[in-house]
Amino acid sequence: MAVSIIDLCVNCFACEPVCPSNAISEAKPHFLVDPKKCTECEGDFPVFQCASICPIEGAILDSFGVAINPPGSLTGIPPEKMAEAMAELQSH
Amino acid sequence: MQLPVLNNTPSQAEHGAKSGCSASSCGTTDNQMDSLPDSIREKVQNHPCYSEDAHHYFARMHVAVAPACNIQCHYCNRKYDCANESRPGVVSELLTPDQAVKKTMAVAATIPQMTVLGIAGPGDPLANPERTFETFRRLSQEAPDIKLCVSTNGLALPDAVEELSKHNIDHVTITINTVDPEIGAKIYPWIFWNNKRIKGVKGAKILIEQQQKGLEMLIAKGILVKVNSVMIPGVNDQHLAEVSKVVKSKGAFLHNVMPLIAEAEHGTFYGVMGQRGPTPEELQDLQDSCSGDMNMMRHCRQCRADAVGLLGEDRGDEFTLDKIEEMDIDYQAAMEKRKVIHQAIQEEMDSKRLEKAVKAQQHKQEPKLTTRPVLMAVATSGQGIINVHFGHAKEFLIYEASPEGVRFISHRKADQYCGGDTSCGDGESVLQLTIRALAGCEAVLCSKVGYEPWEMLEAAGIAPNGEHAMEPIEDAVLAVYKEMAAAGKLDEKNEAVRANA
Repeated sequence: MAVSIIDLCVNCFACEPVCPSNAISEAKPHFLVDPKKCTECEGDFPVFQCASICPIEGAILDSFGVAINPPGSLTGIPPEKMAEAMAELQSH
Repeated sequence: MQLPVLNNTPSQAEHGAKSGCSASSCGTTDNQMDSLPDSIREKVQNHPCYSEDAHHYFARMHVAVAPACNIQCHYCNRKYDCANESRPGVVSELLTPDQAVKKTMAVAATIPQMTVLGIAGPGDPLANPERTFETFRRLSQEAPDIKLCVSTNGLALPDAVEELSKHNIDHVTITINTVDPEIGAKIYPWIFWNNKRIKGVKGAKILIEQQQKGLEMLIAKGILVKVNSVMIPGVNDQHLAEVSKVVKSKGAFLHNVMPLIAEAEHGTFYGVMGQRGPTPEELQDLQDSCSGDMNMMRHCRQCRADAVGLLGEDRGDEFTLDKIEEMDIDYQAAMEKRKVIHQAIQEEMDSKRLEKAVKAQQHKQEPKLTTRPVLMAVATSGQGIINVHFGHAKEFLIYEASPEGVRFISHRKADQYCGGDTSCGDGESVLQLTIRALAGCEAVLCSKVGYEPWEMLEAAGIAPNGEHAMEPIEDAVLAVYKEMAAAGKLDEKNEAVRANA
């Protein structure tokens, strides 16, 4: 049981100090979770600490590979609105 | 040298609000510092971000050591990094404290006018306390002639005040966009607090409480506080005058209201959702309406978290990590040189300030014009003089000339946040964009203007003027204003013109 950080990570360092198990470390091209150390905060906090401070939707996955912060959950931008804006920009 | 200080009396302030001329900057003594106590002026006179006067002479730099953030703002997107982009929160190269110290000393030795080192992100400096404070601690030992300052969203501020005061940091900027949690919830979708992500009004309320508490604690320690606010039309624009009053009553000495920057391509909430930024006139009106109560800052360039140089320029490219690695810096020698140069600049500023005061006195004795106010754009690269060719100007400073005198209003970017690539924008040339950026101005003063822009400026109703090259800005603006008045171009006192300007 461990969370994982994927390539959407922008290397902002925010998660590293809040991990109660010191399971997160700086790496190239992005931060990584040591699955042997990660406890999913069990016994320390009721919520994943890394995913509670991470500003990037989809960058941290739970042990089932599901985004803990799905699209729209942090920025408040509805995903369809984001898609619309991106399509608009690409059409130029 | 002791210089005359204007008092910011209520009657002047009222007058200012009505005539559109702020009390703290009336006449050609134009200076936001004039209403400050000497003790504060002393501290900020060589700080380009705190003194309008100083920003023509002294440079600043930011080191990007602080990537993490503890809140989300709707005008920020943590994914962004673009070398051509210039706005807060954007950086190209994250530095370790060690790299930041090296870079700072390299810049200080190469650009001796650099007096200030700030940590401003790209996240929140106080959400990265180890990296931020290690940088400050080492710089206060190794480069004691550099002023240190920090800007923060305020959430972690109360816990950091003690540490800040230890490092001799006497300038702190807090971004306070609201004192109302309901409004806060429309600006801050969440904060990270006590091991939880807290959303909405509840999160905004905690943030606001921490900001206000931090402000009070800093003032109690004698640390100067500037408050930054982002003006977001329809969200907090009606509310910022109250913010100004509140922070002033708690002891903040300067309020910097900045326009929201929101474009869809930035991928921010406001950008994608189509929230517009204020027009230059809306910004100016708000700054004017706050100025009766508070010292307003109008020369902010909303720079990147790794900017280097005078406020209007960015010399970051000269100091990339690989370049500073090759530089061999003798900081002791550099400090000697810096001291001499700073003293010379200070003397020049003092004599110009005195000259201005004398001229303002003369201006008062001359028969008062009854003409309407006029906005003019000025191309300058510093020293308070007109010294840039129209086509080379990356930005223009906007001044208002009126029967009261000349006052600084704002700056406008000539190249619309872009690298000057002609393929940028909707097929408009850079020249067309520049002329559009000068909307509302009736004259543009620069050292020279080419034939093509000359014709286009005239067609746009902006009189090009290259007759005042190398002259002090305020003198030249006033001279042009008087010429316009004498030519009968400003006859009736037309309030509508400023409203549309």
